[in-house]
Amino acid sequence: MNELISNILYAIVMNYLINGPVTQNIMAHFMEKMGEKTDSGGHSVFLGQVRADEINGKKVKAIEYSAYGAMVKVEADKIKETILLQFGDVRSIDIVHSTGIVKAGEISLFVLVSAGHRHQAIQACSKAVELIKEKLPVWKKEIFEDDSHEWKH
Amino acid sequence: MEIKVLFFGVLAEVTGTNCKHYREVRSIGDLKHRIQDDFPEVVHYNYRFSLNDEIINNDPKLNDGDEVALMPPFAGG
Repeated sequence: MNELISNILYAIVMNYLINGPVTQNIMAHFMEKMGEKTDSGGHSVFLGQVRADEINGKKVKAIEYSAYGAMVKVEADKIKETILLQFGDVRSIDIVHSTGIVKAGEISLFVLVSAGHRHQAIQACSKAVELIKEKLPVWKKEIFEDDSHEWKH
Repeated sequence: MEIKVLFFGVLAEVTGTNCKHYREVRSIGDLKHRIQDDFPEVVHYNYRFSLNDEIINNDPKLNDGDEVALMPPFAGG
């Protein structure tokens, strides 16, 4: 891995946010690192994707995310602590959330939980996603094909 | 004393700003009135306050350099 990509990945891991979609490249780098976690017997991944909903006859072409970066860091750190306390078999948790424009069909949330065994990997991943939805200070507006938009709650 | 106020989500849109500085505000309650004077449309939206990256449910006193945010309901994922 070259130094630039390594630095970018480090920033994502530390701050949880990336500008634009979570690309296959970024996901691939996290997947590659799974091989180093030889104490884990199971990894559970959740990918959140932008859906091309149709609302009042208008189709969503993208979502624009905004976030309170400093507080995302505080809250995501807390989510990781909560999960590690609640699920003793969990070894690590990675969270990446998009800011800015993410087109329909692209990935805006990546969660990877590694655990000694499958049950806690799956349960902890599910719990982490619920906490992310509830606790992370992130906002989104749906952008329609005619460039009008609507804030989502 | 001066504090920094951040506006997020739909509130950044309706106020037309992401950030505004306020001087001589004693508390969150005081600040709320000042914001509503500047941006009356804010009263039509649900939001919570955070103070220095922590959500608050009471009305703490404010100090110089504090960072307050107006946060509509979260919609991540």
